Amino acid sequence: MNGPIRRLAFAILVGFILLLLNVTYIQVLRGPTYRADERNPRVLIAKTSKERGLVVDRNGEVLARSVADPTDQSAFVREYPFGDAFVHSVGFSSLLFADRGIEDTYTEQLRSKQDLTISDIVSALLDRDLRPQNVITTLDSGLQLAAINALNNQAGSIVALNPRTGEILAYVSLPSYNPTPLLGSTSGPIGDALDADPAEPLLNRADSETYAPGSTFKIITTVAALDAGLSTPATAYENPIELALPGSTSVIRNVGLGRCGSGSEVTLAEAFRRSCNTIFGQLALDVGAPQLVVTAQAFGFNQDIPFEWSVLNSVIPPASSFSDDQAGLAQTGIGQRDLQATPLQMALVAAGIGNHGTVMAPYLVASVADSDGNVITATEPTIFSQAATASSAAEVAAMMVDVVASGTGTNAQISSVTVAGKTGTAETEVGAPHLWFVGFAPAENPTIAIAVIVESGGLSSEGGSGGSVAAPIARQVIAQWLGVSP
Amino acid sequence: MTRRAESVLLGSSAALAAFGVALVELSQGQHISAEVGLTFFVFVAAFGGVHLAIRSWANLAGTALLPLASILTATGFVEIYRLDPDLASRQRWWLLISAILASGLLFGLKKSGTDLVRRYRYLILVSSVVLLLLPLLPTTGEFPIRGRLVNGSRLWVLLDLDFFSIQFQPGEIVKLLIVGFLASFLAERRVALAMMTRRIGRWNVPEPRQLLPVVIAWLLSFVVLVYQRDLGASLLLFATFVAMLYMATGRVAYLGVGAGFFAVGGTIAWRTFSHVQSRMEAWLAPFDHYDTTGYQIAQGLFAMGSGSLSGSGIGLGRPDLIPFASTDFIFAAVVEELGLAGSVVIMSVYALLVAVSFGIALRSRDIFRKLFAAGLAFTLGLQAFLILAGVLRLLPLTGITLPFMSYGGSSLISNFLLVAMLARISHEEKV
Repeated sequence: MNGPIRRLAFAILVGFILLLLNVTYIQVLRGPTYRADERNPRVLIAKTSKERGLVVDRNGEVLARSVADPTDQSAFVREYPFGDAFVHSVGFSSLLFADRGIEDTYTEQLRSKQDLTISDIVSALLDRDLRPQNVITTLDSGLQLAAINALNNQAGSIVALNPRTGEILAYVSLPSYNPTPLLGSTSGPIGDALDADPAEPLLNRADSETYAPGSTFKIITTVAALDAGLSTPATAYENPIELALPGSTSVIRNVGLGRCGSGSEVTLAEAFRRSCNTIFGQLALDVGAPQLVVTAQAFGFNQDIPFEWSVLNSVIPPASSFSDDQAGLAQTGIGQRDLQATPLQMALVAAGIGNHGTVMAPYLVASVADSDGNVITATEPTIFSQAATASSAAEVAAMMVDVVASGTGTNAQISSVTVAGKTGTAETEVGAPHLWFVGFAPAENPTIAIAVIVESGGLSSEGGSGGSVAAPIARQVIAQWLGVSP
Repeated sequence: MTRRAESVLLGSSAALAAFGVALVELSQGQHISAEVGLTFFVFVAAFGGVHLAIRSWANLAGTALLPLASILTATGFVEIYRLDPDLASRQRWWLLISAILASGLLFGLKKSGTDLVRRYRYLILVSSVVLLLLPLLPTTGEFPIRGRLVNGSRLWVLLDLDFFSIQFQPGEIVKLLIVGFLASFLAERRVALAMMTRRIGRWNVPEPRQLLPVVIAWLLSFVVLVYQRDLGASLLLFATFVAMLYMATGRVAYLGVGAGFFAVGGTIAWRTFSHVQSRMEAWLAPFDHYDTTGYQIAQGLFAMGSGSLSGSGIGLGRPDLIPFASTDFIFAAVVEELGLAGSVVIMSVYALLVAVSFGIALRSRDIFRKLFAAGLAFTLGLQAFLILAGVLRLLPLTGITLPFMSYGGSSLISNFLLVAMLARISHEEKV
């Protein structure tokens, strides 16, 4: 009789061995997965109630911090002193919604590692710092506020960066929203309302929305022509009243429907200053699709632009798509047709011209420091691409100076500083055109490059142009940065 | 191991419980309160009392049983205190009552011993059937004993007198009574049951009429499943029955027949009952049904996974997020805070306790006592295995308590009685 009893006892012990193996699997092998699962409430609780590090601007101004929760001594709540000003760059970290911005990308550095586990105690004994780290951004809060102010509640975006390094100085997307009401556990309806808002405040227009670049794209068309050796700024072009598009019944006309200036011929520099569509349509046809696409891609079109998070790609169609669509190529050369660009992309185009043709990779985070202020990691400026030769860049820069001095961009003039720029008034399929200005200053040694877009004409409605609406905004931002009166 | 060593180990368990309570209080940012001393006192009184009862009326019993049970009780108690101090103070009362009843059982058996169970086996059978059916009494009305519907199961009985009301799960006690009855019944009939005169093809099979008890047990288990909606108790009851038939006869055929009946019953249950279906669903893909049936299993897995190797530390995890953390999921709650280290200790203690219990059966010379001890050991081991396997998603979850650790009076009482009975059997073998 002991035989069967032994066998059953053995069976139960085998069962316990299986349990031991299984519990090891769950707690050790699968443990990290369960610990990180977003449905695990511990993840959220740990995230929201613990102290997080500071996010500060380039001058140490606090953009995000943790303060003691007034309702719970042991917990912290996140505070964003600038309200809605930095939500599209710093982002926010909340209980109910996915993290955004730097708060998301740098969550590992910002979070406290003090979990009171044995491994923490061991780490502490080994002198590892478990305190949350601080993130020092490249942003300038004064410039950011000035830019928001200049945009004057119009839907649009402003991206300003240092063309020499790629440091983002201002990153504006309007309309915006205040992250603070979204932090708590009862914020669901507020989030839903923001999501349903037709003005799309949640949309980050700086890098997650694309627009036809319009005439600002002529910078790229020009670079393509200069780099290919097809023309110089002094090259003279025939000056028709309209450009008949090959293989098509449609034509390209200039703004105002006239010729480009009065002569029968016009130089490239003159056409650039006046932003003549007829000449640049022809120039694109001369350059050809392969060269135009290569140049645009060198500036960042169709590329993943390195950034703190993944940004929407700007798009130029492949060269092959133009082989039997010369009309499309001419329209692409003046920034229309299927071209799509983010404000960040167009800021990089201006920055590349301002930096001798070298586009620096843009970045928002200058360094991460421990809570004593010792820098742990610092971002080194890196080259994104050599988009234009130095000589072509210098020639285009000179033409851009003329645009502001006496062309379409005179509203960007600042008396004590030479500003280089290019305007754009991009046709849209519905509604008023998007109004662009891209540029840099001081032209001879730029410290700021900028892209401004005002969606659908902004407050000017139908009558506005890049020169009348976007250029003055850029002027105010540049003046603020250079500390001169606009 | 001497009785003295046993008493030292029991004292250590009391200290463990008190120390755990102190840790919980400190981790919650409170000052150490009188709860610590009270816990120590109650553990010393409860286990000391049973220890003295064993000394007096079963002094030849093995000394390993009680210390192992006390470690589990202490660990479970600390976690219950951590989850809900009010629940813990009730559990302390249950601990005292359990100790009194266990001591009372040893006192009652001091003269005739387990023979009493053999003598009154049909009385035991009838009372266990009555007890099993008690929860099906109407839930309302004047009658002082009423059934209760808790979480969709009819497992509870409410005894509601004018001066006193208490609720209990008779199924927990029935488990012991059935084992007692079966041990006595099978000890007598085992030879007849072992006769395999019929042949079907190549196999010898038992006489059909000898299978009648299996069918009855199967039907009884099915009643528990259908009317009380209690998957765990039903499975435990049936498995214990089949296991005891096998141990009594040595005929593997009974295991086969039992497995067949289980397959049929299980399939019918799966097809018919939504609560069985949802358990299967939760078992197979808890994360696909996260918002509904899979929630509890998923929370258990999150808790255990968060425990990792060394756990969060007592009072520093969030086991309160698991539904039914103090009863069915006490293991997940404990090991979130004690980690894999705690899991290994707890499982080893259960394995040891089961091994010691089977050891008592193996060393018994009397067939009845041998079967009785083996049945008790099996039901204890299987119950611990089933709920742990359910929490660990090795098997579908069956809602039963984890012996000694879960919160609950009926469970604690029946497991104390089980240990007392094993101690008495162990004692009788050495007289």
